[in-house]
Amino acid sequence: MGSETYSQVGKAQPQIDALAKATGQAKYTADFNLPRMLVGKLLGSPHPHARVLSVDASKAIALKGVKAVVTGRDVLGKKYGMFKSRRDETGLALKARYVGDPVAAVAAVDEETALEALDLISIEYDVLPAVFDPEEAMKEGAPQLHDEYERNVVADTHYDFGDADAGFKESDHIREDHFFMQPNSHGCMEPRGVLVDYDITGKFTMWTSTQSPFHVRRDTSRALGIPLSKVRIIKPHVGGGFGGKIETHPMHIAAALLAMKTARPVQIILSREEEISITRIRAAMQIHVKTGVRKDGAIMAQYVKIIADSGAYSSTSIMMMYNAGLSCMIPYRIPNFKYDGYQVYTNKAVSGPFRGHGANQPRFAVESQLDMIAEDINMDPAALRLRNASQTGDTTISGLNFVSCELSRAIEESTKKAEWDKKRGRKETNRGIGMACGGFVCGARGAGHTASGTNIHVNEDGGVTVLSGASDIGQGCNSMMAQITAEELGIPVSDVTVIAADTETTPIDPGTFSSRVTFYSGNATLIAARQVKSQLAEIAATLMEASADDILFRDKKVFVKGSPDRFIPFGELVKRAEGFGHGRLIIGQGQWAPTNTQFPDRKTKWGNVSGSYSFSTQIAEVEVDRETGQVKVLDVTIGDDCGQVINPMSVEGQAEGSVYMGIGHAFLEQTIFGDNGQMMNPSFLDFKMATPLECAPATMVEVGKPDPIGPYGAKEIGEGLLITSVPAIVNAIYDAVGVRIKELPVTPEKILDALEKKETEGKS
Amino acid sequence: MKRELELNVNDELWEVNVEPHKTLLEVLREDIGFTGAKEGCGLGACGTCTVLVEGAPLLSCLTLALEVQHKRITTIEGLVEGGRPDPVQKAFIEHGAIQCGFCTPGNILSAKALLDRNPRASREEIEEALAGNLCRCTGYQKIVEAVESLVGSE
Repeated sequence: MGSETYSQVGKAQPQIDALAKATGQAKYTADFNLPRMLVGKLLGSPHPHARVLSVDASKAIALKGVKAVVTGRDVLGKKYGMFKSRRDETGLALKARYVGDPVAAVAAVDEETALEALDLISIEYDVLPAVFDPEEAMKEGAPQLHDEYERNVVADTHYDFGDADAGFKESDHIREDHFFMQPNSHGCMEPRGVLVDYDITGKFTMWTSTQSPFHVRRDTSRALGIPLSKVRIIKPHVGGGFGGKIETHPMHIAAALLAMKTARPVQIILSREEEISITRIRAAMQIHVKTGVRKDGAIMAQYVKIIADSGAYSSTSIMMMYNAGLSCMIPYRIPNFKYDGYQVYTNKAVSGPFRGHGANQPRFAVESQLDMIAEDINMDPAALRLRNASQTGDTTISGLNFVSCELSRAIEESTKKAEWDKKRGRKETNRGIGMACGGFVCGARGAGHTASGTNIHVNEDGGVTVLSGASDIGQGCNSMMAQITAEELGIPVSDVTVIAADTETTPIDPGTFSSRVTFYSGNATLIAARQVKSQLAEIAATLMEASADDILFRDKKVFVKGSPDRFIPFGELVKRAEGFGHGRLIIGQGQWAPTNTQFPDRKTKWGNVSGSYSFSTQIAEVEVDRETGQVKVLDVTIGDDCGQVINPMSVEGQAEGSVYMGIGHAFLEQTIFGDNGQMMNPSFLDFKMATPLECAPATMVEVGKPDPIGPYGAKEIGEGLLITSVPAIVNAIYDAVGVRIKELPVTPEKILDALEKKETEGKS
Repeated sequence: MKRELELNVNDELWEVNVEPHKTLLEVLREDIGFTGAKEGCGLGACGTCTVLVEGAPLLSCLTLALEVQHKRITTIEGLVEGGRPDPVQKAFIEHGAIQCGFCTPGNILSAKALLDRNPRASREEIEEALAGNLCRCTGYQKIVEAVESLVGSE
């Protein structure tokens, strides 16, 4: 992973703000306080589907300490949302579409008073029929959530590449299977929050826990009908996002309204219950897969049909359903592919992007089925995957182009490391080993603004300030940008300060999602740093009477190539640059978006959405207790082609985090809904996530080569690995005890039932 | 009715005037200003509010401030001595055990309490001791390694 030619790239480094985090000094939204600050609280609908007829807030307002109440009548009703064609939220609803849907908000002098005031708001509802199951919601005559979407189908995505029918005809073996992946919470340790300051000039300043400050700015401006330039969003430390904090939340709109109404700062911090039940969850998906293969294992055709539960609002539906289909075509060569994706509104909590964004669900289904096919045709599952693995230079039938792809190597190296051949098929031990492969975009091309930018200022002592719109939510992108800057300028990472993100001072940026940040902001930072370097090199060349091409930056010094004694300290050069000629400022500006992408054609859907793609293989080893049905994941081996690793510590952190999260998704995590569509387990007591006791060690094998487009050849790892965690485990369970779980989560009951069924069938 | 409380936090006495039903977490964060302890769930299920009371980990979101008067309370801020972080804090940093950082104060304090009472803790004992401090980012591997690195190092 490391390289001798680099001073920083490939070297393991703690995050630049690790000391602040370790000592409690890092400030998150809830840690901020302003003079005269009020506490805001949201009031959710008790009904899954109901029109707000009237609101009587007089008792609440009369309560001492209550400063304002706002409702759906205070917002303009102008819809906002991430995708222009699917905007369906207003901030505070006049028609509630799930239990908990915010319909009003209150600001009071303290939390207790605010909570008491919520109880005093009296709302008259017209309760409407509701629907909770997506397949029911698609039927004629089902209650309709949004006027524009008949039968509640909010995303209706279809692909037809090649000729699937012909492909199935050419197949020697065809399987059709049905799978279900459960809904679950992102479970960010920090519940989201917002603090709004509204000043007399009409300007809103918001500190908020977000993955995309620029989206929050856009939506707030839209929902409140105020100019974009009157909203400033500052992202402090954010305690995890995993896709859940990309979008604008009603709390943003409510807090802004309350601040405007009271002319006082207002802070809303969601409770854990709210964080789980009224933000976003991962979409539950019913997945039908039909795959045809030749005797030699070559995939000839695949058909995938998905029905996704959208919950009450659209969120990123069209992107999710697009990605769900598209991601099926990344890891393997599929000559004929057909896909029908439907995302359907129901009167439940809102589904949205979640680490993997629609790829996790079909990946679980397809990778499970591939193992079943391998058994049917008597082929080793690793060999089957190797037979079909995508290769560098491939263009898929849908137009995705892989400029680098080391999936074959990932399969070969990880199976070797995990002792695949030795460990397969030892049912007598109740231990099993299973694998899954996947691939992921490094930032999918959006229809709108997509580029990232970095500005670099060099201070007169040689300290460097990096300004970026990228959102560090804990994954460490600030450290990545510091490392790249330090690499280029030959200075220590500790000399670099990163300011990110603030919509008023940092370059515009789409946000942290789609595994785009290292790829986009890394490249933008590289460009900015190289500009700084060339500005300084020109001056150094003059001062040292050398050619600018021969100037090297290393160890906080600026050298003439081949003459280690001829140098100027970096800080001194910056100082001398200030007075150079007519005076100079050293400022670098980089902006970047890949130029090899092609936005998918609206009719044919053909296009290349990402500059490059990551590829991964994950191998899990499990032990199943036949008495209790408990499964223990013993070990996970990972071969991940994430290109050139910039910071091995961060990459390992992403890998280990993906393994952990996969264990939770496979066995524990599920949001459960009651008869009224209300979430039954919105707390960490009832929504279980893995602890160190359930976790398994992850070992990575080196497989990546530098990618031609990523910064220094880096690709993504944040999302692409999680999508293979669950199927690797499920396949390992099958290898261990011969039972195939097709509906997640895997519970001891399901294992025991399946074992019993298998035994009965074996006897008859 | 507010009550005058005297709390010994990070070797300093703090006089606060608070409602008697206020939790230690609320008083630390709102009345004194130690925001290193976090509210992740408010139900004692996530461990982000962990502080040490007489050296033992305690969930400050489930503890009334008046229950711990005159006891020695240590928050994450109190582990820094003379501007230098504690060895546990350093180990978390050096082993990459910190990503978003929201669970970090609680995890560090639980680890600190474990190592103080059991400097030779095994891997199993470390995992057991940290099982009440959820982390959503790291997968715990680097957290456990950080704590393991301090075992028997004194």
